[in-house]
This record gives sequence, C-alpha cells and structure tokens, in this order.
Amino acid sequence: MSQVVASTSLSKRYGTVYCVKDVNLSVCEGEIYGFLGPNGAGKSTTLKMILGLVQPTDGQVTVFGKELAAHRRLILSQIGSLIESPSYYGHLSGLENMRVVQKLRNVPDRNVSEALKIVRLTQQKDKKVAQYSLGMKQRLGIAMALLAFPKLLILDEPTNGLDPAGIGEIRELIKSLPQRYGMTVLLSSHLLAEIEQIATTVGIIHEGRLKFQGRMDVLKNNNRPTISIRTRNNILAEKVLMSEGFSSCHRGDSLVFENLTDELVAQANRSLITANIDVLRIEEHKKSLESIFLDMTGKERSL
Amino acid sequence: MLKRCVAAEWAKLRHSYIWLLVVTLPVISILIGCANYYMNRGILKNEWYSLWSQVGLFYGEFFFPILIAICCAYVWRLEHFQKNWNLIMTAPVSVAAIFLSKWVVVGILLLLVQGIFGGLYVLGGIWLGFNSMPPGELLGWLLRGWIAALAISTLQLALSMRIRSFAVPVGLGLCATFLGLGMYVLDLGQFFPHSLLSIGMGVLSQTSLSTWSQELGFLLVSLLYITIISTAAIRCMRKSDVIT
Repeated sequence: MSQVVASTSLSKRYGTVYCVKDVNLSVCEGEIYGFLGPNGAGKSTTLKMILGLVQPTDGQVTVFGKELAAHRRLILSQIGSLIESPSYYGHLSGLENMRVVQKLRNVPDRNVSEALKIVRLTQQKDKKVAQYSLGMKQRLGIAMALLAFPKLLILDEPTNGLDPAGIGEIRELIKSLPQRYGMTVLLSSHLLAEIEQIATTVGIIHEGRLKFQGRMDVLKNNNRPTISIRTRNNILAEKVLMSEGFSSCHRGDSLVFENLTDELVAQANRSLITANIDVLRIEEHKKSLESIFLDMTGKERSL
Repeated sequence: MLKRCVAAEWAKLRHSYIWLLVVTLPVISILIGCANYYMNRGILKNEWYSLWSQVGLFYGEFFFPILIAICCAYVWRLEHFQKNWNLIMTAPVSVAAIFLSKWVVVGILLLLVQGIFGGLYVLGGIWLGFNSMPPGELLGWLLRGWIAALAISTLQLALSMRIRSFAVPVGLGLCATFLGLGMYVLDLGQFFPHSLLSIGMGVLSQTSLSTWSQELGFLLVSLLYITIISTAAIRCMRKSDVIT
C-alpha cells in the first residue's frame, strides 16, 4: 500500500511553545486513519499543516508522494477537507454554496447533485444556509468536501454537532467511502469510541507528540486480559511457579501473568496449593482501550 | 483559473445588500449635488461644469471612496465569517487568483457605480433644464475616476484582508480621503491613491490633467500602486498562517 500522507518531524511552534512536535504521520492508501487526542493536543494544527493552511516551523509534509510546498495546487485538487467547523456563506442557499465550490474546483453539475444526495440535503438545498441547523451545516460541509470525489478526504471532528442518529449515519458513510469511491480518509476526533468504530489505523497525539501510530487491531491486542494472583507468600510462590515455566511480574501485592488460559490458571493454583502456599485471590483484569488511551494521554486531562 | 475564481466570487454576491449600496450612494451624491447647484444658481453659471463641481465634490471626495472601502471590506468579510478562509485556501487555485478575483469583482462593481453616477449626472442636468449637450470630458472623468478607484481598492482590499473588522478599514479609508485632500492641496496628489481620485475625476479642478504627460503619469502611478500593493498582499497571504 502506498503512502498517501507522510510527514517527517513536523513541528509547529507558537511563541516558545510547541503545539505540534516531531510528528511523523503515515497514512496509507485506502485506510481510514483516526487521529485521536484530547482537545488542544494539536490535531487541527497538524491537519492544517497537511493542507498548507499553517506553515510548519520544522519538518515537511508529502502528499501523494509529492512535497506540499512545491505542488500545492495539484495536491489540493485531490483533497477534500472539512477543518474545524464547516465553512459556508450564510446568505446563500445550500445549492449556491455548492456552486461556489463547484466553480473553484471545476467539477461537473452531476457531482453537485450526487454530493447533496449522499449527505441527504437534496430536499433542503434551496434554503438559506444561515437557517440550517448545526447538523445540516455539518452535512453541507461534508458534501463540499466530497464534491470533487477526491482521493483523500480530511475531516476534522466530522460528527461535531450531529445528533446520535446523524452520527451513526455519517459513520456508516465514512466507512463506505474507501470501497465505494476508493478514497483514503484521515479524520480526527477526541472521542475514542468514535475512532474505535470507524478507523482501521489510529494515531494518538498528546501535547503535540504522536504517542502511538499503528493498526487498530494492534492497539486492541494491547488489550488482552491479565491474571493477578495474590498469596500469603508471593516470593515463594513466584519461585515455585517459575520452576514450572510461568513468568510473572510484581504489581502491588500481587503476581501478574499475561496470556494465561483457564487450564494454566488451574495448573498454577494446583501447584501453589501443593507447595503449601495459601492462595488469597485469583483475579482477571481487562485493560480497556480507554485505559490504554488514558495511560498515553494522562488521566488528569479530559478527553 | 482567474476566470473560475471571479465566477465563484461573483456567485457569492447573490442576495447581497451590496447591490443596494451600489445604487443608493450615487443617487444620494447626485441629489445633494443637484440641490446645492439649484440653491446657488446665482454664482454657478457654467451649467454642466458647475453641476459637475457640485455633484463631483460630494461623490468624489466622500461617497465614492467610502463605497470603495465598503465593497472591499464586504468581499473579505464573506471570508472572515464562518471559517471560509479554510474553504478558499484549500481550493486548488493559486493564492494570487484569490486576491485578484476579489479585485476584479470590486472593479466591475465600481465600473457599474461610475456608470450609474454618469447616467444620473446627465439626467440631473436635463432635469435642471440645461440647454447645451453634456460635456465631452465626462467619459474621461468617469474612466479616470475608475482607474484611480482601482488603485484605492487594491489598498482597501489589502487592509480589509488583514483587518478582520468591517468598520476599521472603512474608517481608515475615510481618513485617507481627508489625507488625500491635504496631499492634493499641497500639490503632492500624484503620490497618494486617494488624491488620484480627485485628480482623475476633476472634482476640484476640471482641468487638472491637461497634458498628455500628466495623463500618462496618472496612469503609471495608478498602475504602480496596484502592482506594488497587490504583490505585497499576495505575498503576505502565501507566507502567513490562515487564522480562522
């Protein structure tokens, strides 16, 4: 799979503070890349640098294998984007807004009707956008991003302001884009649940630094349950179990084991009793994706 | 590409109140000018030329520069609202085309304004019962006024692009008009866009551009202003971050 977006040590400094620092983003063709991080982590700034809206302090961005600075127009013609809240001209109708973008992007009329149909705005296309609800504005923003049926779609918090039914609908829409139109999607969110449901690849950013980047299933594998055993004599217990091939680590007053099947748990218990060591607790701990995320981003901050 | 940008820019002016201003301000200038002429017929004896000195004064020294500033502030206000900067700066068009398309659209609006003003001036003269034909210089005044207006609008567009407020650039434009009047009186009018308007439209002295060399100088200075200011503005757009 070829890389669609690649950034190398991308950094942005405002004053003396780095808002984004040494981010090496890699988005491959056909992926839905979820860019996850708490509010103010540097998601929007990174996306803006990929679109050339913000000039990086350091590092560079290549899109479709070409350097952004040198091939701005060519690259932008193949990207559809929705950054921050949707852009629109309030005194114009939905259709007239689409026409403005149509002229800028030089695409045929059928794209306009198709994009409006996809986001289900065909009925309200003649209404002034100032009178649209927030959800409708968001849909219009997505329609504008889809208008040229670009190879790469960049969506910043695409489900902001939508009601639960709308969120579900947009989620299904985004999931269908790679197969239906061969698009690569790069979307950001501060909501773990949303990224978990949509993304195939995930990048976690916190305080401007990329903490994790990889396939969603790899992240979920970090999720496997652990077994912790507490005994009256943990040191002796560890020795006994080690001689039987178990490997463990201490956490608090328990021994923690990874990858234990039910059979192995029973065997360990039997060995401890045979060795005359009292077993006080055998507990299973499941680490949720959320706690993995919180481990990376720190609990003190809200998501 | 510029054509597409102009078309997009033009489409944004639909349902806009700017059209009301484009028609209203010339009408007000003519009404005040005609009334002034009518009440001072005792001293104003030169029919068309006297009428021009009256309507031109109100229009060229006040209403027109303000209208230019408002038009420029308006076309940028559209982008300052609702994060539309993101929209235009991610469109696959050059940054220069974005700025120049706004300049072209404002230019077309101002040409329209000049046309309306010229037409109303002739109507006003007929209504006042002038016996002679409208002056032959009229077309030149209007056209040169338009050229000076293009120079002023480049300046105003650059200001309104950087200053997110609507009123501040318009206020600055008004100050510049007075400054331009001062420069004109000091005979330095050739060096300030707003004085170029007074000179070009012949509102203070109807023979201010009497020779070919003066005419050429006027054109060159206007062109120079347009080139320098627009180049600087486009450069600034390229270099700076989009703030929404």
